[in-house]
Amino acid sequence: MNRRTAWIPTILLAVGAILFLAPLAWMVSTALKPESQIFEKNPHWIPQPPTLRNFSDLAQKSSEAPIGRWLLNSGIVSTSVVVLTLLISSMTAYPLARLRFRGRDTLFYIIIAAMIVPGQVTIIPVFLLIQKLGWFDTYPALIIPGLASPFGVFLLRQFMQTIPRELEEAAAIDGCGPWRTWAQVIIPLTTPALATLGVLTFLGAWNDFLWPLIATNSIEMRTIPVGLQMFQGRYTTEYGLMMATAVLATVPVVVVFLVLQRYVVRGIVLTGLKG
Amino acid sequence: MAPSSRIHARQAGWLTAAPFLLPYLCLFTLFLVWPLAYGFYISLHDWQLLASSKPYVGMANYAGVWQDDLFLIALRNTAYFVALAVPTGNLMSLLIALGLNARVRGETLFRLLYYLPTILSVAVVAVLWKWMYSAEFGLINHYLAAAHGALERAHLVTGPFKQVPWITDPRLAMPSLAIASVWWGAGGGMLIYLAGLRAIPESYYEAAELDGAGTWVRFRAITWPLLRPTTLFNFVIGLIGGFQMFGQGFMITQGGPHNSTLTVVQYMYRSGFSLFKMGYGCAVAYSLFLVILVVALLQFRLLAFREEIS
Repeated sequence: MNRRTAWIPTILLAVGAILFLAPLAWMVSTALKPESQIFEKNPHWIPQPPTLRNFSDLAQKSSEAPIGRWLLNSGIVSTSVVVLTLLISSMTAYPLARLRFRGRDTLFYIIIAAMIVPGQVTIIPVFLLIQKLGWFDTYPALIIPGLASPFGVFLLRQFMQTIPRELEEAAAIDGCGPWRTWAQVIIPLTTPALATLGVLTFLGAWNDFLWPLIATNSIEMRTIPVGLQMFQGRYTTEYGLMMATAVLATVPVVVVFLVLQRYVVRGIVLTGLKG
Repeated sequence: MAPSSRIHARQAGWLTAAPFLLPYLCLFTLFLVWPLAYGFYISLHDWQLLASSKPYVGMANYAGVWQDDLFLIALRNTAYFVALAVPTGNLMSLLIALGLNARVRGETLFRLLYYLPTILSVAVVAVLWKWMYSAEFGLINHYLAAAHGALERAHLVTGPFKQVPWITDPRLAMPSLAIASVWWGAGGGMLIYLAGLRAIPESYYEAAELDGAGTWVRFRAITWPLLRPTTLFNFVIGLIGGFQMFGQGFMITQGGPHNSTLTVVQYMYRSGFSLFKMGYGCAVAYSLFLVILVVALLQFRLLAFREEIS
């Protein structure tokens, strides 16, 4: 490519990026506008002046739309899912990758095969199970079923297989049992994959929609995506309030993503899958 | 592997592995394997959530589902959505990845920006695009009206601008949902294409360039054929996701207008959680699973077959 045409891809990408980001910018812009500017004939991109009115109005509606509570629920649920997924997946991946026992590979293939089952197929039986356990409309209903996802086991097992044997042998000579080897040799070496799994799991848990919609019914137990749906049903044309809620629902995932984005890229390249 | 480590490894049998495996295997069995079997069992019963008796009905629910006009409409709508969104999304992902692969400045920043919509919840995507598509105050119709005004001044069009009913016209609603979904999902496919592109050896392009091959020829002869496994992968992943489309139709259009955006998962949700017909809902879910499996297998066969002839 010569010098004059070398800029063409960059320019095309920049134009595309502006178009791609326009809806997000519009969401933020609307959230920061008073109603009079939202329904203007010739709308402005920059609110004049920006106002936090929509956010303070949301705070007033906390009895019928407790957004603070929804955000808290989402925070509790996603954090628990991330911590437990990292713990349980790394425990499961370790023997599947590093120990020898009969039927090990068969077991791994059974777990992987379950990845092709679409989540929606089991949603009714899992719902009935949750009811039977008395978990309906509680945090365990939102947290525990998701821990059965094989994705983390798959990702960590693939990663742990690349760790050289010598380190474990050295640990064994030093008298480390399997638990200490797992905790002090394998886990530290798996940190990059754990970071990848952590981000993808967080994004998936925070954004999940259908399951929390089914597994909860009281207004206090909704997560933020489901809350947003209820909000939309109630305040159909209050776009300022709706975009303000959408912004609040989005800020945590954007922050987590921006801080840990290189792990997202690596994870998808590594496995070709999202969480 | 050294003999000493083999001995060490063999000593670690089931007894060592079991405590590590136990928590996950319990979860896996309880929330994945058992529901898979239990759901099929439910689908063989007239399972009303609140009824005391749940009589066995054999395959009657399945027979009902495949003769149910509304299910067939939902299936056709979902297939239409997949046919619109999956190829378009793949093309979009490929174009962005090709751009990023052309040694641009600020590649990391661009990659991040294009991936940003993918991290949103479907609920956010839905309220945002409902606002974008608003006929009277939406951003899209605003710019179309502006473009119409400019063309009118240039005497290229006459008459007043008619607001486009993006989500209220039965013919337009599903394509509108597909556009929003492509925007939402293109980032994931882009990363996978990018990984595929990086795996193609630079020397192929250098050799082609020596032979005088231009940009298009290099794409046709090297990039596209070598990306085929990546394309197949993206198609299958897109297809599995597309057939499970729920939130966009549920929130933006509520399945309407005139059931034009009712999807299979929405129909399952309605049967199970609005009408409490769990047996019927499970039959819908298993029918969908079957459809996804068949279409995914067909796609593998189709692309593998093309591989053989070329």
